[in-house]
Amino acid sequence: MRRLLDAILRFFSSLGLCCVLLILLALLTWLGTLEQVHSGLFEVQKKYFESFFLVHQAGSVPIPLPGANLVMCLLFVNLTVGGIVRLRKGRATAGVLVTHVGILLLLLSGFVKMYFSEDGHMTLFENDRADFFQSYYRVELALIENVDGERGREFLVPQEQFADARGPRPVRLTAPELPFDLEVTNFMPNCRPMPKGPMFEVAVPVVDGVFLQSRPRQAQAEANASGVYATVVDKSEGTRQAGILWSLDAEPWTVTVQDKTWALDLRKERYPLPFTVELEKFTKEDHPGINMPRAFSSDVEVLEGTTSRPVRISMNEPLRDRGYVLYQASWGPSDARPGDRLFSTLSVVRNPADRYPLYACIVIGFGLLLHFARKLIRYVRIESRQP
Amino acid sequence: MLTVFRALIALGALCSLGSHPAARFVQASNMRLEPWPDAVVEQAESLPVQEGGRVKPLHTFASFTLLRMTGRRSLETPHGERLTAVEWLLDTLFFSEASADYPVFLVQDSQVVEAIGVGLEGKRRRDRYSFNELRGGTDRLFQQAREIAAIEEKNRTSVQQQLFLLANNVIAFRQLSDTLDFARTPIPFGPDETLTAILGDAESVSASELLHRSEALGRRFEELIADHTTGGGEALQTVSSLLNEAAARFASSDYLAFLPPAADSDSEEWFTPYRLFVSSFPGATAAATTPEHVAMVAGLEELVRTRNQPEAFKAALAELHTTVVESAQARGEYDKIGLEVGYYKSKVVARSLYVFLLAFVVMAFMWLRPKSAWLRRATTALVGLATLLLCAAIVMRCMIRGRPPVSTLYETVLFVTAVGAIVGLVMELINRQRLAVSAAAILGVIGLFVANGYEMLDKRDTMPSLVAVLDTNFWLATHVTAITIGYSAGMLAALMASVYLLTKAVGWKRAERSFHRNLGRMVYGVLCFGLIFSTVGTILGGIWANDSWGRFWGWDPKENGAMLIVLSQILILHGRMGGYLREHGVCMAAAFGGTIVAFSWWGVNLLGVGLHSYGFTSGISRALWTYYWIQWGIVGVGAITVLRSESRHTASTRGAHGTSAERLSGGEVPSA
Repeated sequence: MRRLLDAILRFFSSLGLCCVLLILLALLTWLGTLEQVHSGLFEVQKKYFESFFLVHQAGSVPIPLPGANLVMCLLFVNLTVGGIVRLRKGRATAGVLVTHVGILLLLLSGFVKMYFSEDGHMTLFENDRADFFQSYYRVELALIENVDGERGREFLVPQEQFADARGPRPVRLTAPELPFDLEVTNFMPNCRPMPKGPMFEVAVPVVDGVFLQSRPRQAQAEANASGVYATVVDKSEGTRQAGILWSLDAEPWTVTVQDKTWALDLRKERYPLPFTVELEKFTKEDHPGINMPRAFSSDVEVLEGTTSRPVRISMNEPLRDRGYVLYQASWGPSDARPGDRLFSTLSVVRNPADRYPLYACIVIGFGLLLHFARKLIRYVRIESRQP
Repeated sequence: MLTVFRALIALGALCSLGSHPAARFVQASNMRLEPWPDAVVEQAESLPVQEGGRVKPLHTFASFTLLRMTGRRSLETPHGERLTAVEWLLDTLFFSEASADYPVFLVQDSQVVEAIGVGLEGKRRRDRYSFNELRGGTDRLFQQAREIAAIEEKNRTSVQQQLFLLANNVIAFRQLSDTLDFARTPIPFGPDETLTAILGDAESVSASELLHRSEALGRRFEELIADHTTGGGEALQTVSSLLNEAAARFASSDYLAFLPPAADSDSEEWFTPYRLFVSSFPGATAAATTPEHVAMVAGLEELVRTRNQPEAFKAALAELHTTVVESAQARGEYDKIGLEVGYYKSKVVARSLYVFLLAFVVMAFMWLRPKSAWLRRATTALVGLATLLLCAAIVMRCMIRGRPPVSTLYETVLFVTAVGAIVGLVMELINRQRLAVSAAAILGVIGLFVANGYEMLDKRDTMPSLVAVLDTNFWLATHVTAITIGYSAGMLAALMASVYLLTKAVGWKRAERSFHRNLGRMVYGVLCFGLIFSTVGTILGGIWANDSWGRFWGWDPKENGAMLIVLSQILILHGRMGGYLREHGVCMAAAFGGTIVAFSWWGVNLLGVGLHSYGFTSGISRALWTYYWIQWGIVGVGAITVLRSESRHTASTRGAHGTSAERLSGGEVPSA
């Protein structure tokens, strides 16, 4: 038993494993880079870098490979056992030890970011405000009650609960507080509503002369517009009302059930912020005489309770507040003329490991310097002794 | 000879004045009779002009414009006169009829001119054409260019790309040669009380006078519009036809922005003569014309008038130079102009290349006479001098741009070369084995050839304005510098490793075992040096990305390329420590590593995806693939050496212990 344990420990701490993992990681990085020419970054990231296993297509030959996630987990173990626990400690290896600790910290920050962070964006026109941000990719279904023209209760259905309703077989969503059940069919990750003409037939339902036409997924995942068919079934009377929900719709679909109006909205998933951001002004500055932007910045007001403070968010200078970081990401409309109302898109990230890479960089840099400076000094000494 | 030739032309022209006075006079005055005096060229070179988002010397503008058109920085006229870029520009501005005969348009493939129906008599497949030679085909050229514009750039055929480029060059040439049209003849106007009251009794008005009176004219014009209903229609007609005529004259001068706005103006945009005219009249957002502007335009008129009177022209240019420079200085936009002219005119990068080449030759002799201490010192001194020149170039660029050493792809080449050469020199000082300094000489030559090749291929200002995300000296100084040092170390290691593998394959210095051992050690040392910078540089890049794009790591191609370098270097060091790679293996891996560095440095830019789009290049693919294949070939040679030595060893000493790598490396046991 002990021998087996020893063998396992030896295997996980071996330099051989380290080399194999590094080769695999390099291979995945290289393949994932080339793949980006054909597939979008989002797909590549999921397939090569966030996965445990994958099948790479080299032409028509499928090659099974471990995903970068698995490789990095193994590397983490290998580094901990072989590079720290079992490393011979001494003056000669002090730098190596420090470096390895730094790399562990770096890997750790990657894991924290992957599993514990939220990211999305907040797009505001000048003078608009928001206390939430939206996902770039994920959608949610919001059911909002209208009480005398005011927003009443709000029920949120996350994507997982209806994304499987790909075909005509309905997924039934129900809640005791709701006066109706919701049947969802034909969820499409990327689609557009089209009028149904007399000259062709479609395989999906047609609602008020309109149907959802499925489209291939975009290389840039944020450009996908999802849609779904929804049927509201009155719990008491059993009457059915059918509708189409599309994530790019300007207005939600409204239905009346038992004399109450409900708005059904398929929208990008929203996450609350602990403060409100109001965009005062967006500024885009060009280099003189040409159309190349020199600087972008958003002047915002950060409102918390009764207090507010002005902040300027610009390229390379984000706003950091209570674990959230807001970056200048984009702007529009791109065809705006002078004087038009502009919008600014701020990327929002909540990442508990936001600052880890900086610490890791300092630790690694120090460790490498310590190790190689020592070697260099030794080398210079040996050389200077030679005639 | 040339002067005599010109004098004969002038004389011929004068003699025939009697028979065809007007026609002959035009021809003679359209020729420049004397070469441009040095003083004139010097003054013109240092005139400031705003282009590509920055203020630069006319010298830089002229050089890159001519380079784009003709593929060279100088030009030979049909009369055999060699012109510098600035002299060509002066001819194009002041003797546009003559410069229309200069062969400025480089056409790489005669199919391009065939496609626009231009005759090819006496032309080679790749040749230069004058504007007059292309004139008959310009309509078709522009028509085709419009069609090509609708095609996505990467889908254009080679001929389409060249057609498009040619169309752009022809347009630029036309705009330059028509720039001073407004200054050539005064604008006539009919006798009219309103105009006489403002412009005096003359029947025509010069552009400068018109600008001088712009305020009064503009006011009167507005009054006339207001009075339109109560009469004054005829006066309005006269004034507006004068303004229309003036606008038409100025319209062709909207290319060269060389008139600085007033010092207290909010606008950062410099004026072309056309924009100055437009902003001086009613309807402009801000009346911009100052007495200095009027003086500048009057100066241009004087230059046009005196273009064939060298002394008067010199004096007029000096006056214009003073006015423009004082205005630019008042805006704080002239400080770096002299330095930039000096940078380009001193050809310091080219000189550095020549010295590196000389060092390379001396180095070759050094290896033929290994015992000569004198040759070793000479090589080291020459490499040192070349490196010093290159560093001077980099420092001058930093001063001109007010930026850290690396912010464009071109600058990475200069910096990689300089750092590689410095590392080589330092290693030479430590071990005096002649190896490091030789590698530095080779790297210097290759690096500066690449820099020159890139500049000639790209043909654009190597000090361009930067996109918003790069506007941060902190990150440019830390991340970009570190990562570029990493590239440099990777390339130097690959070069040394290649020398190791090739010399070993041909059995050179087989008797002198220390040669390869020393070389192997140096490869290892350079890799260690590189690893520090690649690793720290890559992580710093992540931290920068975290500050500007909101994520530390996004698997963007450029980031992945950097990580591949780090991974390969870590792999070599761990493989060496684990005994998987010995000296020969490390060198094979380092030689292969050169292709990884090249992929990260240039290759990912060719993929055309990702956020790091400020470094995209085209047309370097062939050079890159050549480099890949050379390095892979060298790695292959290294592998064959191992196999051959293995089989020889098996044949001669059956049953001996140890791996082939050990035998090749002389059995050195590495330590991490």
